Amino acid sequence: MTNNPFPLSKDELLAAYRTMRTIRDFEERLHVEFAKGDIPGFVHLYAGEEACAAGIMMHLTDIDRIASTHRGHGHCIAKGVDVHEMMAEIYGKSTGACRGKGGSMHIADLSKGMMGANGILGAGAPLICGAGLAAKFRGDGGVGITFFGDGASNQGTVLESMNLAAIWNLPVIFVVENNGYAESTSVEYATAVDSYVDRAAGFGLPGVTVDGTDFFAVHEAAGEVIRRAREGGGPALLECKTIRFFGHFEGDAQTYKAKGENDYNRENRDCLRIFANRVTSAGAVSEAEISLVDREVAALIDAAVESAKGAPLPSPRELLTDVYVAY
Amino acid sequence: MARKISYKQAINEALDLEMRRDPTVIVLGEDIVGGAGAPGELDAWGGVLGVTKGLHAKHGNRLMDTPLSESAYIGAAIGAAACGMRPVAELMFLDFMGVCFDQILNQAAKFKYMFGGKAKTPVVIRAMVGAGFRAAAQHSQMLTPLFTHVPGLKVVCPSNAYDAKGLLIQSIRDDDPVIFCEHKALYGSEADVPEESYAIPFGEANIVREGKDVTIVSYGLTVHRALDAAEKLAKTGVQAEVIDLRTLSPIDWDTVIESVENTGRLVVVDEANPRCSIAGDVAAHVAQNAFGALKAAPQMVTAPHTPVPFSPVLEDLYIPSADAIAAAVTKTTARALAA
Amino acid sequence: MTPKVGIIANPISARDIRRVVASANSVQIADRANIVLRALAALRACGVEEAVMMPERAGIAGHVLRGIERARAHGEDRFPRLSFLPMPVTGTVEDTRRAARLMAAAGDIAAIIVLGGDGTHRAVVGGCGSVPVAGISTGTNNAFPEHREPTITGLATGLAAMGLVPARIAFADNKKIEVSLDGAPPEIALVDVAIVTDRFVGARALWRTETFRELYVTFADPEVIGMAAIAGLIEPVSRTEAGGLAVTLAPTAATRVRAPIAPGLVEEIGIESWRRLPAGAVLTPALAAGAIALDGERELFFDPHQQVEIRLVDRAFHTVDVAAVMRFAAREHLLVDRPLVDA
Repeated sequence: MTNNPFPLSKDELLAAYRTMRTIRDFEERLHVEFAKGDIPGFVHLYAGEEACAAGIMMHLTDIDRIASTHRGHGHCIAKGVDVHEMMAEIYGKSTGACRGKGGSMHIADLSKGMMGANGILGAGAPLICGAGLAAKFRGDGGVGITFFGDGASNQGTVLESMNLAAIWNLPVIFVVENNGYAESTSVEYATAVDSYVDRAAGFGLPGVTVDGTDFFAVHEAAGEVIRRAREGGGPALLECKTIRFFGHFEGDAQTYKAKGENDYNRENRDCLRIFANRVTSAGAVSEAEISLVDREVAALIDAAVESAKGAPLPSPRELLTDVYVAY
Repeated sequence: MARKISYKQAINEALDLEMRRDPTVIVLGEDIVGGAGAPGELDAWGGVLGVTKGLHAKHGNRLMDTPLSESAYIGAAIGAAACGMRPVAELMFLDFMGVCFDQILNQAAKFKYMFGGKAKTPVVIRAMVGAGFRAAAQHSQMLTPLFTHVPGLKVVCPSNAYDAKGLLIQSIRDDDPVIFCEHKALYGSEADVPEESYAIPFGEANIVREGKDVTIVSYGLTVHRALDAAEKLAKTGVQAEVIDLRTLSPIDWDTVIESVENTGRLVVVDEANPRCSIAGDVAAHVAQNAFGALKAAPQMVTAPHTPVPFSPVLEDLYIPSADAIAAAVTKTTARALAA
Repeated sequence: MTPKVGIIANPISARDIRRVVASANSVQIADRANIVLRALAALRACGVEEAVMMPERAGIAGHVLRGIERARAHGEDRFPRLSFLPMPVTGTVEDTRRAARLMAAAGDIAAIIVLGGDGTHRAVVGGCGSVPVAGISTGTNNAFPEHREPTITGLATGLAAMGLVPARIAFADNKKIEVSLDGAPPEIALVDVAIVTDRFVGARALWRTETFRELYVTFADPEVIGMAAIAGLIEPVSRTEAGGLAVTLAPTAATRVRAPIAPGLVEEIGIESWRRLPAGAVLTPALAAGAIALDGERELFFDPHQQVEIRLVDRAFHTVDVAAVMRFAAREHLLVDRPLVDA
C-alpha cells in the first residue's frame, strides 16, 4: 500500500510544490529587488495565490491557451515560461521573454500557450474565446483559460465573453481569482452580484467556488471543468477564493487592508505551507524532499536575478523593430 | 476573365476565394449570415447590406453570426488570429469601434511588439465607413485617421471594385492586423474585375489620372470627387494628377513625393474631420520632404470639424465636393499664375 | 417578552463542483434573501415579533434588509424586527457553527430556520444543542431538509415558537451519526457517512463511484438524493424508527444498484452486503486508510494508524415537524380568526 493518499503521484506532488515555490520565491525576490530601485516601471505580485495557478495549469499542455492578467508572473511560471527569460524581461533586458519590449505586464510565450499577461483588465476574456474558437475549428482538444480578478469581473468584456462562450459552447474556462480587492476597493463594495456562481448562472454556465488556498481543491475542481470543456461540454466558471500577500502593486502601503490581515494570512492561509504540511504529514513526500525543492528553487531565482542584472540592454535599433511582420 | 461587378460583389468574391484557398479563414460578425436561430430563412441577410450573402451556403459554419457584442467577438477574432486562424471580423460600421477599441488598440496592434516579435495576429476587421447614406452621426464617420495613428495596425480603404477585391485578398493573407474600410456609398459602384484571385500589395498608391499641374491625393469615395474635379479643371487647362492612396498604413510616400516633385502643387482630399487627419498627415509629410518642389502652399479639403449631420442638405455640404476640390486647386495655381 | 426565531441562511451553499459534474442547482443570493423574507412574513403572521439572523457579507442580509425597508416605506408591517448576531464574518462554515452556538446560548431562541443543504444543516446541528431546527433546502444535496415552500416552514415554525402547538407534536426527534478520529471530539452526519478510498479533501463532493467502500445512514428513504439513496433503494429505514443502515460497497460487487448519488447523477454502485445499524454500537471501517465524507462531502481523512469510530445516536436533536404542526393548526383552527359554525 502506497503512502500517497493524493490523486497525484509523488513526482506530480513535487512538481506542484516546485511550481508554487518558484512563484513564491520569484515574487518575494521581486519585492526585495523592486525596493532597491533596480526594476523599472511597476510590478504586481502574485504571492499568496500560487495554488490557483499551479492547481489549474497542471491539467494543461502547450496546446492549451491561457490569457493572463496584470498579475501574471504566477500564470507564466505555472504555464512553463522560462524563469530566466521572465526575470530578464522584468529588468528590461534584451534576453527577456519579450526582448525587453513588454515588461512585467506583458510577458508572453505563445509556444507555451501563454497568450500574455495583460495590462488591460478583463481584456483576456474575449481573446480566450478566440483561442477556444480556434481549438474548436481545429478539433485539437485544446482549451482556453482566462484569468481575471474580482475587480476585472465587472468589465463588460468578461460578461460579453461569458455570453459568447456559452452560445458557441467554447472550450473556455473563466477563472476568477477573487483576492477580495480590486486594487484597493473591496469586492463587497464593487460587485453587485454576491457570488460569481450566480453570475455564471446568469449566462447559463455552471460555476464552482473553491478555496483558492487549497491546492487540492483547486486541482480537483479545475480537472473537472477542464475535462468537461475538452470533451465538448462547454465553458464553465471557477472561482478561487484567494488572498494576496502584497499590495496591488509594489509600493502600495495597503492601508485599505485590516490591521494584521497580511500577518494572519501568512500565518494561517499560506497555500504553500498548507500544501507542504499536508503532503509531508501524510508521508507522501518527505520534509527532506520539500527542502531540496526549496534549495533548488532558491538557487534558480538567485541565478535568474544575477543573469538578468548582467544581461545586455536592448540595442537602440530594437526601438523600431517588431511593429509589423512586414510593412 | 474580367467582367463588371460591384464593389460589394468584389468583397464577397474575395472572401469566397480566400475561404476556398485557406481553411483557417473564418468570417464572423453581426448578421453576416443573418437569421441565426430565428424561425425564418438562414442566410436571411448576408450582412446588413448583403455583402456576405450566399457565402454561408458555400462555407457553412465557417461563417458565424455573432451576438451584438463587439468587444467579445472582435476580441475573439483577435484571439483566434493569435492562435493560428485568419479570421475576418465584420464590425458593420467603423463607428462601433467605440465599444471594442481596446481589443484593437491595446491587444491586436500591440502583440507583435509587446511580445518581442513572437506573436502574429493576422486578423482583418472589415467595416463600413463614410457619409452619404443619411445615416447620421454614429453610422457615417470616416475614422481612418484614428486607426492610422496606431502603430501595429494596417489601414486599407479601396475606392473601386477592382481594388476592393485585390486589397481584401491581400488583407486576409497579410500577417498583421488590418482595418479594411469599405465606403458604403461605393457598394453599388462597378468596375472590371477579373474572376481569378489576385492580391494588390499594400503601400502602393494608384495614379488614377495623370497630370502635370497639380497633385490631388485622396482615398475612398473622395477619389471620385477628385476625378470629377480634375475633369472640370481640364476644361480650364489645368492638368491634375489624381493619386488614390488605397492603403493609409502603410502609405506610399514615394508616389506622392514623386508626383509633387513633378507638379509642384498639392491638394489632399480627406472625408475625415480635418484635425490630425490623413490630409494633415500628407500635407505635413510633403512640406517636410518636398518643400523645395512646392510652388504653392499645400491645400486640404476635408469634412468640417463637426459630427456628420443627418439632414440631406447638411450632409451633402459635409462631404468634400468636386467644386471644393477644384477651388482648392485654383488656390494653388492662382499664386503661380500671379508669379 | 415573546420568543425569538433564529435564522441561519448560508450564502455559500450550492457552489461546489456538483454544478459541473451533475448540473446541480444554484440558488441565487437574491432568491435566498427572498426565501428569508417569505419565512419572516410567515413568522410575523403567527405573532413572532423578533428574529435574529446570522450576519454574512455575501449579500443575503443586504437584500433582506432592503426588502424590509421597502415594505416599511409602503407602510406595511409584515415582518418581525430583525437583528443580527454580534459575531465576526469569516465567509466559511465556521460562521454557521458559531451562529448556531450563539443562538443556543442566547436562551430565548425558540427555533432556528436554516437555509442550506445537508452540509449547512450538519453545521447548525453541531452547535444548536436542544433548539429545534426548521430546514429549508437551498443547498446542492438536500436529503435532510425537506422540500417545501418556505412560507409554510415559516408558519409552522412561528406557531411552534409561539407555543401554540404542544411540543410533543411540534418537534420531532432525529438521529445522527458521530465519527471520531483517535478519540477526538466527534464530527457528525445527519444523513450519511461514506468511507471512500480518496485520502484528500479536494473539492469535497463525492461523485467518483469507484472510490466508494462503506456507507452508514441514519435513514434510508427511497425518495432521497445523495449517498443515502443507495441505502434507500436497498432497504428503506424511516427518520423516526430506531437505528439506521450500514452498507458495504465494492466497485466489482455482483449486486448493482442504480442510485441518484447527487442531483442529476444516477450511477451504478456495487453492493456487497448491508445490515441494520443499531444506535449506540461502535463500528470501525474495514478500509485501512481513506477519506470520510459526512453528508456527501469529504471532511476527514484517516491513515492506517488512526482509530476511526462510528456510532449512531438516536434522539440526537430536534426539528420542527412542519407537517404535524400544520395538521394540528388546521384541526385546532389556529389560523382561523373567528369562530366557525359547525355544519
